[in-house]
Amino acid sequence: MSEPHYPGAAAPERSRFFVSDGVRLRLDEWGDPSAPPLVLLHGAFDHGRGFDLLAPLLAARFHALSLTSRGHGDSEWNDFYAWQNDVADVVNLLRSLPRPAHLVGHSRGGGQATDAALWAPECVRRLVNVDGFGPPPEGFAPPGMSVDRRPAPERFRDYLDARRKAGARGWRPYPSLEDLVERRREQNPRLSREWLRYFLHHGAREVEGGWVWKTDPAFARGFGPWRPEWIGPGWQRLRVPMLAVVGTEPDSWRIPEAVAAERLAFVPELARAAVPGAGHFVHMERPRETADLLLGFLEP
Amino acid sequence: MIELRHGRVSLALHPLREASGATLLCLHAVGGSAQDFRQLAGRWPGRVFALDFAGHGDSGRLRGGAYHPELLAGDADAALARIGPALLVGAGIGAYVALLLAGGRPDLVPGALLLPGAGFAGGGPAPDAASDTISRWEDLDPPLPGCDPAVRRLERDIRPPEYAAEFARAARSLLLAQGDFAQPPWWQAVRAGPTASPAPGEPAAALARLAALAADVS
Repeated sequence: MSEPHYPGAAAPERSRFFVSDGVRLRLDEWGDPSAPPLVLLHGAFDHGRGFDLLAPLLAARFHALSLTSRGHGDSEWNDFYAWQNDVADVVNLLRSLPRPAHLVGHSRGGGQATDAALWAPECVRRLVNVDGFGPPPEGFAPPGMSVDRRPAPERFRDYLDARRKAGARGWRPYPSLEDLVERRREQNPRLSREWLRYFLHHGAREVEGGWVWKTDPAFARGFGPWRPEWIGPGWQRLRVPMLAVVGTEPDSWRIPEAVAAERLAFVPELARAAVPGAGHFVHMERPRETADLLLGFLEP
Repeated sequence: MIELRHGRVSLALHPLREASGATLLCLHAVGGSAQDFRQLAGRWPGRVFALDFAGHGDSGRLRGGAYHPELLAGDADAALARIGPALLVGAGIGAYVALLLAGGRPDLVPGALLLPGAGFAGGGPAPDAASDTISRWEDLDPPLPGCDPAVRRLERDIRPPEYAAEFARAARSLLLAQGDFAQPPWWQAVRAGPTASPAPGEPAAALARLAALAADVS
């Protein structure tokens, strides 16, 4: 299948693997390598090529580097996944750069960027968190699914049952890329089919019998005692300014404003912005407006 | 040695004693291995198996290094899938893992004996907002002999007392070691629950009490 095109999307100028703690991670780059570095972090089940619209608009001023996290896109699969490993990968990348970088993360990547700025403040200039303020207190319920409210030991038994099959687990192939596009549209109805065709072409691979996601099926199937109230209080130690970005349109992947405001109140140096007409995938839905916002915040 | 699979990792399960009677599965501390239970196995009336957790002993290393108690619980559950219902004895991190399994698989685990050891305390009851909790992830102590250096992360995971208490309530019977050792909040929550009772200080007596649990409930 030939490489799809999408208006405004530009493939990376350079791609390589960055090895973090022994794990090969895909790193896509746009712009002059001697320009100020800007690191881009994608959300869960996405991949680094989701910045093909935004990164080219930033590349005139910055050296943009998009890191694909473990178990996603063309990065290596792991035997198990933990939040801190992903944050460590971001810190390792930042430390490999010749000077401090701006950090921009979307959704789960926004949370990673925030924790990386806490972990290695000496490596970070400014932080942009695009709708990545953690799950709502009751957890995310994607369209068609409900929140699991059973006691932890009961949910844990399901986790153990799933681990017993973890080695054999693989994605069921969808007959065509078009079927993957429709599946993703159910989760993110605001994203156009044309964009998803482009985005998923890089987030899926063709196998015998159809197309499968590149994301490791074992990702996000861990278990632990994590509590939503743990998000926020640690942010009072942030030493870099944060721009918190949301879209203005209703989206089931955005947490209630009151919850976001409560968590963001801990950030010592906070700016907030809303992009008109965008849902959760702000940089994919409104790349030009997002780029203008970022350029204004990062280089005022 | 029996080779097990948990996900994409190969695990070593060691049969330490063959006899008729209730089965015992031994879960070691951080930096330990199945061999730590050789002496104890001789005091058990039935079959004894001891597992090398991922990153330890003869078991495989975890690609990516994301060691967590819940991952180790999956290791131990792979052993239960092979050997069937068993009493558990766990030391250190193995005690916490035994608690998780006793609460998650009460149908397979009639009781567990929980002992102190490396990895017993964990990383506290909640993240510490005032300190650099997140960067402690890379600030690991020196590697332990024969282990993946990343297994030291098993001394850092957060263990909220209310989480431990939920598993304790779901368990059938827990025998808790007594003695002069630091008692983390998760342990105090388990101790306060209805399924916990003090284990005799003498190892042979503690094992006899554990073996009696199998008879009580089966």
